[in-house]
Amino acid sequence: MIAPFSEVLVVAGILFALGAFCAVVRRNLIMIVLGIEIMLNAASIVFVGASLHLSNLDGQSFVLFILAVAATEVSVGLAIIVYAFRRTGSFDPGNFNLLG
Amino acid sequence: MTLYGMLFHIISAVIIAATAVAITRKNLVHAVVYLIVSFFGTAMLFYLFGAPLLAALEVIIYAGAIMVLFLFVVMMIRAESAEKKVFVPIQWIPAAIFCLIYVLVAAAMAVGTPGMNAPLKMLSASPAQFAIYVFKYQWFSIEVVSMLLLLAVIGALNLGAGRRAGRVDEERRIEDDSALQ
Amino acid sequence: MAGSPAHSVDLAALLAATALPFFSFLAIIVATRGRPKVSAGLSIGAAAVCLGCSIGLLAFHSGLSAPIEFSTSLIASSGLNIPFGFLVDKLNLLMIVVVSTICFLVQVYSLGYMAKDPGFSRYYAFMSLFTWAMMSLALSASLLQLYFFWELVGLSSYLLIGFWYEKWSATQAGKKAFVMTRAGDAAFFIGILLLFIHTGDLNIAHLDSRSALAGVPPSFITLSAILIFGGIVGKSAQFPLLTWLPDAMEGPTPVSALLHSATMVAAGVYLFARLYPFFSLSPTAMSVFLAIGTISMLLASTMAMVSRDIKKVWAYSTISQLGFMIMALGAGGYFAGVFHLTTHAGFKALLFLCSGVFIHRFETNDVFELGRLGARRMLIPMISMVLGAAALSGLPPLSGYFSKEAVMGSLAGLPDHVWLAAGLCGVFLTAYYSFRLIFILLFPRERVSGEPEGAHGAAHKAEYGAMALPLIILSTVTVFLGFFETPLRHFIGVAGEVGQAPTWPHTAALALAVAGAAVAWIEFGRKGAAQIGFVERIEPLHRLFAERWYIDHFYGLLVNRVVDRGIARLCELNDRKVIDGSIDGLCEATVESGRVVATLQTVMVQYRLLAIFAVLVLLALYYYY
Repeated sequence: MIAPFSEVLVVAGILFALGAFCAVVRRNLIMIVLGIEIMLNAASIVFVGASLHLSNLDGQSFVLFILAVAATEVSVGLAIIVYAFRRTGSFDPGNFNLLG
Repeated sequence: MTLYGMLFHIISAVIIAATAVAITRKNLVHAVVYLIVSFFGTAMLFYLFGAPLLAALEVIIYAGAIMVLFLFVVMMIRAESAEKKVFVPIQWIPAAIFCLIYVLVAAAMAVGTPGMNAPLKMLSASPAQFAIYVFKYQWFSIEVVSMLLLLAVIGALNLGAGRRAGRVDEERRIEDDSALQ
Repeated sequence: MAGSPAHSVDLAALLAATALPFFSFLAIIVATRGRPKVSAGLSIGAAAVCLGCSIGLLAFHSGLSAPIEFSTSLIASSGLNIPFGFLVDKLNLLMIVVVSTICFLVQVYSLGYMAKDPGFSRYYAFMSLFTWAMMSLALSASLLQLYFFWELVGLSSYLLIGFWYEKWSATQAGKKAFVMTRAGDAAFFIGILLLFIHTGDLNIAHLDSRSALAGVPPSFITLSAILIFGGIVGKSAQFPLLTWLPDAMEGPTPVSALLHSATMVAAGVYLFARLYPFFSLSPTAMSVFLAIGTISMLLASTMAMVSRDIKKVWAYSTISQLGFMIMALGAGGYFAGVFHLTTHAGFKALLFLCSGVFIHRFETNDVFELGRLGARRMLIPMISMVLGAAALSGLPPLSGYFSKEAVMGSLAGLPDHVWLAAGLCGVFLTAYYSFRLIFILLFPRERVSGEPEGAHGAAHKAEYGAMALPLIILSTVTVFLGFFETPLRHFIGVAGEVGQAPTWPHTAALALAVAGAAVAWIEFGRKGAAQIGFVERIEPLHRLFAERWYIDHFYGLLVNRVVDRGIARLCELNDRKVIDGSIDGLCEATVESGRVVATLQTVMVQYRLLAIFAVLVLLALYYYY
């Protein structure tokens, strides 16, 4: 007997809020991507917990896809950041406010 | 509270604490290292929830590959302390308020919904069972995801190549090759 | 899925027939772009294997009673189940044989026709793609899968019509074909979605056995049937989406042959036949289809009467023959429609390939010009063309005669004789325009030059040989296919076929076909004839037909007047009067508020992220309380 599912949800909710806080507050492009990773991770926890709660493997397979999408997102996102840094020499999202 | 329940609470506390520390670090290398701790905790949580394969993948991909990628980027462009101030009041106060509301609502919803409060049973899906399930019912999505990964590789390469001088030579070489054919 | 050994043999044959063209497409694109001969070999080899597998399957299953299905789940999640695989029954056994035969012959023919083209490999790659899409379309097990390949057929025909992309008109024609068929496809897709919402089942076998449709209201069936028919209208170039097909003549001639006989336009009629039991549930929809078939048939025949471009004449005739097929199916003559589709694939491919030989040799599309330059001295193409035209007009004993009689028989079975009269009228017009073209080619009025056959080099001979072989095969098919009517009827035979019709429509059809040919002879063939048709003597009528009943003008007008001038004019008026006027008054306020908004707008991404997050939180709150 592990803890009830509601507690899993609460833990994942706190993690998600931390990730969102990081993505919204930190004035650094790399920290924004890190925040997004934390949010994805929180979602994975909910999926695995729900998979156990409902005895259905669909949840676990979704985590597999989240892993793949996270890897994709990080590789492309970091490549974009490196590219942006090379062009402007800055990590501050406040400097990237021009369209085009 | 059972032994497993206690384990769950300890691991959860570790994850949340590590994450909270990570997002407040000014030094990016420290932040990444604390996040690795958090992801290890998540992997243990997965194992506890009966997903051993995913636990292994979490360690390998999240804590291993993704975080190392972050470290590479941080070290490559020496971005240890790019920020002057970690928290700007005009940003963090509203964000904190909304995060707090969010957590409270989420907790209220999770506890208030009926059927959520029964303790989870111990079940485990062996990697073999999991793999059979995935390739029986989700094979098409797997194909789509593999395509996505391929595209990511192409996109990252394209961005990374940039407009360096070497690229022009490479293009010329490719043209020469095709001319030879 | 896996059953007896016979089943696994079937599955292997099906996989080979559908996968090989795709692999040859990939191989050509990736590896052998620079080696035209290897590319052609790959593509033709794949088509040959397709042909072999198809014939083998047909022979093996000639006594097939119930459809066979091989399928696996594409998406299975909480009650949603969409199969993906092969459905094999009598209809598509026949269809894959037709498709693979025509694809194979056209590819062999292209060896000659495209020989000196710089895009030779690319051409064969697209041909393979086309073959793959069409074979898979014919064998699809679910409507969603069928739609997927349906779009691929559209894509590959776009690529092939616009094959000579340096030519402005060719790219325009490709785009027109793509956009016009897309308009129909949108309706088709909405139809599929509606069907899916109400039945939750897109399996073609279930739709056809009507087991999935129990308890669905009839008005809804009519609605989705008409929407799905929209896709057929686009693909088969029926009224009102018919103008893309004549323009599609900008592509290479073998491509036209392929498009017009067995693949692109046939896909529409095939879909009709495929879902025939479903469509026939709704009498209203069936009469709509009948009317659309009739209108397109008559319109296209009149356009063909005045065209001077040899390929356009055949293009219009394709539209009108497709109209015949849809009329037959709409009238309840399932066999007649399918049989006409089969025979038409043979003789229309023949006609286009013959025209291709002339165009390749004389480099002009104008019929009169071709006649003057001595088209009639090229014996094999000329004889084949006469055979094809006679089949198109429905003269015995060629294949077209039998299928057209079957179509007339099914029309005669209808209580209302208007349709039969329209059909007979169409038979007359068909014979008239086909023989008009033949006589113009055979009896040119003035002879400018006519260099004798065989004056060109050995390379030309080889090309000619590659082009002549398919012509001979197709002529043979055209001559003899008609005699297989009875076995085919037994093979396809469906319950509920129209019974024994009276014989007089058959006689009338034959008489009218002969009369059409005779009128053409009087006006174009006999010595001293002016070679001016009776339509061309009446100027307004001639203009109307030559301008395709102004359908394109109507579309142009629609876009110009309604979208460009109407809506744009309104917007401009609004700009000048309302916005400018109010700005004069509210200038100060606008500048001030603009400043306020600008501070919100130019900030960085994180504020927006915060706004998104805040809205999500508030939505969660709202949902909870």
